[in-house]
Amino acid sequence: MKLEINGVSVEAAVPAETPLLWVVREEAGLTGTKYGCGRALCGACTVLVDGEARRSCVVAAGDVAGKKVTTVEGLADNGVLSALQEAWLAENVPQCGYCQSGQLMSATALLAKKREPTDADVDAVMSANLCRCGTYPRIRAAIKRAVTALVGKP
Amino acid sequence: MRRREFLGGLGILSLGFEIGCGPSPIVKHARESGTFAPNAWVSIRRDGGVVVEVDKVELGQGVTTLYATLVAEELDVPIDAVETHYADSLPAYRTSSGMQLTGGSTSTRDGYLPIRKAAAAAREMLVGAAATTWGVPPAECRTEGGFVIHGGDRLAYGALTVSAASRPVPSSPNLKPRSAFRLIGKHGRRVEARAKVDGTAKFGIDVRVPNMVRAWVLHGPVFGANAISVRSDKALALPGVLDVFAFPGGVAVVAEKTWQAIAAARVIEVTWDRGVVAGLDTEKLRAAARADTSRGDEQLQTTKGNADKAIANAATKIEAFYEAPYLCHASMEPLNCTVHVRGKKVEVWAPVQSPSVVQAAVAEVVGVSPEDVLVHTTLAGGGFGRRTHADFAVQAAQIAKRVGRPVQMTWSRESDMTQAQYRSINFARMRGALRADGNVAGIDVHLLGQPLLEESIAAFGDALPFPRAFVDTIRGLMATNTLPDLGSLEGFDNTYEVEHRRIAFTPIRTKLPSYFWRAVGPSFTCFALESFIDELAHAARVDPFEFRRRLLPVGSRARRVLDMIAPAWSAPKAPGVGRGIARITYAGETEVAEVVDVELVAGRIKVRRVHVVVDCGLAVNPDIVRAQMEGAVIFGLSAALDQEITLANGVVQQRNFDTYPVLRMFECPEITVTIVDSGEAPTGVGEPGLPPIAPAVANALFALTGRRLRRLPLQKELDVS
Repeated sequence: MKLEINGVSVEAAVPAETPLLWVVREEAGLTGTKYGCGRALCGACTVLVDGEARRSCVVAAGDVAGKKVTTVEGLADNGVLSALQEAWLAENVPQCGYCQSGQLMSATALLAKKREPTDADVDAVMSANLCRCGTYPRIRAAIKRAVTALVGKP
Repeated sequence: MRRREFLGGLGILSLGFEIGCGPSPIVKHARESGTFAPNAWVSIRRDGGVVVEVDKVELGQGVTTLYATLVAEELDVPIDAVETHYADSLPAYRTSSGMQLTGGSTSTRDGYLPIRKAAAAAREMLVGAAATTWGVPPAECRTEGGFVIHGGDRLAYGALTVSAASRPVPSSPNLKPRSAFRLIGKHGRRVEARAKVDGTAKFGIDVRVPNMVRAWVLHGPVFGANAISVRSDKALALPGVLDVFAFPGGVAVVAEKTWQAIAAARVIEVTWDRGVVAGLDTEKLRAAARADTSRGDEQLQTTKGNADKAIANAATKIEAFYEAPYLCHASMEPLNCTVHVRGKKVEVWAPVQSPSVVQAAVAEVVGVSPEDVLVHTTLAGGGFGRRTHADFAVQAAQIAKRVGRPVQMTWSRESDMTQAQYRSINFARMRGALRADGNVAGIDVHLLGQPLLEESIAAFGDALPFPRAFVDTIRGLMATNTLPDLGSLEGFDNTYEVEHRRIAFTPIRTKLPSYFWRAVGPSFTCFALESFIDELAHAARVDPFEFRRRLLPVGSRARRVLDMIAPAWSAPKAPGVGRGIARITYAGETEVAEVVDVELVAGRIKVRRVHVVVDCGLAVNPDIVRAQMEGAVIFGLSAALDQEITLANGVVQQRNFDTYPVLRMFECPEITVTIVDSGEAPTGVGEPGLPPIAPAVANALFALTGRRLRRLPLQKELDVS
C-alpha cells in the first residue's frame, strides 16, 4: 500500500491490518514514534492523521491510505523547530524523553484546533498521554509558552 | 589503535605510566589520530571538538547534562561545544564499586569530582603545552572559549592536541573555585533534549543493526512459566517469520519485522507449565503477615535502649499495621535488547543501568568470557531500578545464540508488567508510646517483606552490582541466617532522636523476585514511619510539624529543611482541604520535606498542591534537581494513590496501563520546589523526592477526614474502608 508520511510517499508491503505504528517505525524508518502499550492506553505512539491525533498502535495502516500522516519527524520545518518544540526545550520538558514524541503530537493537534486552549482543554487532551518521569507540569508550561509565542505573532 | 582498544587501556586519570619509556599510549593515540585523550572521559580532537564519554546511562535523570556541564566548566568552553557520547562497557568505567552502574541516586555524588578532575587534567596539559610553545610560565596563561591565552597570544585547543599529549598527566589538577563557576549551580538547558523533541533520539528500541531480525516473546500466564509444547505451524507459514522456539521462561517468535512477529505470535498455541510461583496469592501473604505477631525469630537491625520496656511503661501506647503492595516499574520504554552473537564475540545494544551485569549474565548464557561481551548503552526510556537487572538481556542472548543474525528482542507491555522484578510487598507492625510529657518514649518496628539483598545475590551471583567482598560478607550472613536486610529496612530511623528504638525484619520468601524500585526500602519505610509519627503527634495533641521538629537534632540539615517548609505548612487553606506533611533523610545524605494539600471530590483523592524543600548539597543544575523532585512526586503519587500488583494463584492480575494506572495530567498537582542554597558536596536527587509523598497524602487525608489509611494504594483503601 501507499502511505503519505510527513509529505513523503511511502510504499509498504504490509497487510492492511498492520498497525500504523510499525509501518512508521519499520517500513518508513521513522523511529521517533514509540511503542508503549499496544492498546491506545499510553499515547507514546501518537501521530496525526489528517491533523487528528491518533494512537498509531491501534490504527490499521490500511485505514490511512490516502490520508496525510504526520509524525514527530514532520514537526520541524527544514530543521526549524515548531513553536511547541522550542517551548519544550525552553521549559526543559523531556526527562527520559520516550513519551515526548507522543506528547508533542497531541499538543500539536490541540493547538491546531484551539489557538488559545484553557487549562481544562490542555488537561483533557494531554491526559491521553502518559509520562512516567512526571513531566506534566512542564508540558503545561510549555504549551502556555508556545501559545504566547504563536498568538503574539501577527 | 582503535578508539575502543585505546580507551579500554586507560584507567582512572591514567596515572602511573612512565615518562621516558617510549611514547605513552596517550602520545601514540594523539600522533595517530590527532586526538588528545588524557583519560577515559575527556578527549579533544584536532578540530577543537571536546568529547566526554558518559559512562552512566541517561534515564532522564540528566546525567548527560551533568557530564557536559562539569567538563565545559573545567575546560572553559561553552557547554554547547561539548559532545557527549555514551560509553561502552570498558574496564575504565567500572567505577561504582568495581561495576559500571547507574543507580541509587549516585551519579552526581560520585561523578562530581572525578569528571571535573578529568577535564581539569586535560586543561592543565593544554596550558602546559601552550606555555612551553611560548616559553612562558603556565601560571601566566588563562583559558577561555577553547583557547589558551597569554597576553595577546592565543592557541586553540585543537592545535595543541599532540603537544599536550606528551605533558605529564597531573594526578591532582587544580579545580576551579566555586566563585569562578560559570555553569555549575546555574540554570541550564538539558543538552540531550533537542534529540528528544525532534524524534532523532535513539533508545534501545530504535537500534538498527545491519541484517537485524526481530524477536517478540510470549511469556506464560504464571511468572517464569516454561513452555511444555508449542504449536507454531500456522505462524511459520506467515511471511517474514523465521523461527519459533521455546527457551527457558518463554517462547521466541523471530521474524524480519516486529509486526510480522506480533502477528505470528497471535496464532501460536503454547501449553505452559505451572511456573515458578504457582499458587502464590497476595491476599494469602497479607493474611499471613497480619497473623504473624511472633517475636524472637526476626532479624534485628537496630536496638537502642530498651524499646519494649519504654513502651510498656509509657502513658500512651499506639500500635498500627501498615501495608504496601508489590509494584512494577512500568518504564515507558518496554524492555528490549539487541544482541549479535558472532562466534566467541558478543555485541549488545541496550538501555541498561549496568553494562557490567549484562556482560556477566550474557557471557554465561552464550558461553564466553565477560570481556568478550561488548555492551553499547543506549538512551533508556526510564529505568527506576528495573534496568539494573539483566533478565531481559539474558532472554535476548538466548534467542540471538540460536538465530545467528543480530536480534532485537522487544517485550510487550504485558510481558514488561507480568514478568517484572517487583518492588516487594511490605508490612510493618509499628508500636510506639508517649511519655506523660508528650515526648516519644520509644518506637518498635517489625518489617515483613521480601529480602531484597538476599534475593538479588541469589539472582545474580557474581554478576551483582556490588563488590565481591561485600557479596561474600552478605553470603556469609545469609548462610547463618543473620542478615539484616539493609535494602528493605533503610529509612526507619530518619534522623529522629528517639531514645529507645528497636527495628527488626522478618523475610517473606516467595519465588516471585523482588527488586530495586525507585527509592528502594524508603518507598515503603517512609510511608510507615512518617504516618506513624503523625499518629503519635495526634495522640500527643501536638502539631505534626512541631512534633517532628522536636524530634530532629538542633542544627541538623533535617531540621533546617523542615523549618524551610514551615510557610507552606502554616499558609491559609480553603475549607475542604486537608494538609499533610512528611520528610526523609535519604541514604543519610539528601534531605526532603513535603507538604501536600488534598481534597476529596466525589470520593476521589485529589492532590492539589505539593511543596517540596530539598537539601542536596550544591545543586549542580538546579532545574534538573527541580525536575527530579517533580518527577519523584508524580511517580510516587501514582503508587500512593492507585498502583498495585496483585497475584491470584500465581497469575499477575495487572497487564497494562488500564489496570496499572499511571497518574495522568488532569490529576497532576501544582508542585513547588525550593532548593536549599548549600556549599556542601552534591548528593543524589533521583529518588529522595519520592518517599515522603505517600505519607504526606495519607496524613493530609487524616487531617481532612479523621480516617487513618494505613495501606497503599490509598484510593483503594479509602474505597473499602
